[in-house]
Order: sequence, then C-alpha cells, then structure tokens
Amino acid sequence: MSPGPTPVEVDKPDLGHDEEIDLERPWIVLVWNDPINLMSYVSFVFQKLFGYSADKADELMLDVHRKGRAVVSNGNREKAELDVFRLHEHGLWATMQKDS
Amino acid sequence: MLGSEKPVAFECSRGRVKILLGEEERELITNLAGQFRSVLTEDTSPDLRRLYPTAYPDDADKDSEYASLVHEDLLRSRLDAVETVEATAQAYSIDADELAAWMGLLSSLRLLLGTRLDISEEDGFDPDAPDAPTRALLAWLGLLLEESVAAAAAHLPPHTHQ
Repeated sequence: MSPGPTPVEVDKPDLGHDEEIDLERPWIVLVWNDPINLMSYVSFVFQKLFGYSADKADELMLDVHRKGRAVVSNGNREKAELDVFRLHEHGLWATMQKDS
Repeated sequence: MLGSEKPVAFECSRGRVKILLGEEERELITNLAGQFRSVLTEDTSPDLRRLYPTAYPDDADKDSEYASLVHEDLLRSRLDAVETVEATAQAYSIDADELAAWMGLLSSLRLLLGTRLDISEEDGFDPDAPDAPTRALLAWLGLLLEESVAAAAAHLPPHTHQ
C-alpha cells in the first residue's frame, strides 16, 4: 500500500480542538457475517441506508463475508445507535463500540 | 443462480413492480405472513433472536437500555410489513414502498427459518433430511428476496456517499 505523501513541515494543529471533535465521533458501527442473509440483500441495505454506491456497498459486503465484519458507519453515540437500529430493522447483525 | 434468468416473482414495469407469482404461491406467502404475525405477537419463540440483535456486546446495561428503547419499533415495522404484504398479496403490481415491505417480510422470514434450522454457510441440501421441506422453503424465499432486491435496486436514489 502507498505510504502516502512525504511529510512536510506544517504548523502544529490545535490539539485541544481536535480532541473535542474526536470526543464527538467516538463510535463505530460494525456489521457481522451471518450465514442467513443474502449477499445481494446486504449490499442493497448498505446502499439504501447509507447512500453508498453499488461498488462501495459490494466492497463492504465482501469484507463482512470474507473477514467476518466491516465498519459501515461512525459518529457520536446517538447517530451510531440510530444506524444500528436501522440495520437491525433490516435484519442485519450490527453492533456498535467505541473506536479504539 | 444466474442473474440473466427470467424473473419468477418480481419484475420492474413502468415505474412499478409486477408480481409474477401464481395463485398457490400468493396463498403461501399470505399464510406465512399470518404465521409470522402470530410468532411476533406472542414474542416468546427463541427463533426470534436474530430479529432483535445485541447492539452493545460489551455492555449489558447499555444493551438492555437499547433493547427496551427499540423493541416496540422493531416489532411495529415488522407487523406493518406483514400487513402490507397481506393487503397486496393478490395485486398485479406494487409500488416501491410496498416492495420494501415485501423485502422486509422475506428477509425476516428467512432469519426466523434459518435460526430454527440452525443454518450454517457450509450446509448442503439433503432432500431426504427431516428438515428438507423447511430448507426448500428457505431457498424459495431466498429466490424471491434476490428478485425483490434486483427490482428495488432500480428504485434506489442516486448514491450520496463516496
């Protein structure tokens, strides 16, 4: 994988401000592999709920299928819980946890 | 299943979705919808557990708080889907919202049956096994779900996320 651009000297960011933003977005939503849900259905639900393109939704679905899980959204606790609820409403096996 | 095969359940037609199912299949779906309502309303079957998953696997307190918050809403949206499917089971065609209800019911029924069968990804189909009829039903519902997904994908709004 690409190591990214060569670092250049920049002004130090305002760490206090960044921490505040981090505290507002500390949760991730995971979808877990299950043997019942169909792959096409899972990909469709990702597109419908999160507005992902078909390609991106397929990529996430294949991550779930092959690696056992994928992070499909993130945000503060309220947003993550709403996303989990919408996934549960569609029968997907979703959980949420603090991003580590 | 080849995507190019002619659909047997749902087909897009002039902005709506045509239901291609025969009389017996429509009756079967209506019957399954009614049975599902009973199981949902009774709310005691262990086979329902995949319909109410855990949100916080590492935090029992938060999870029971979440469960009590959403249980009624999850139940309501599934009962609404049952009602819509029953009301449109004999219809010639349905709109995108009604298709979403069909999809929801098909998915819920598969979760219930799959949990009951304790299905795993490696399972093959054995026509002589005692649970073969239920497995055949699960496969048939899967075919309908695949076709409902294909039909609904045509009604998705343009993607908003990269």
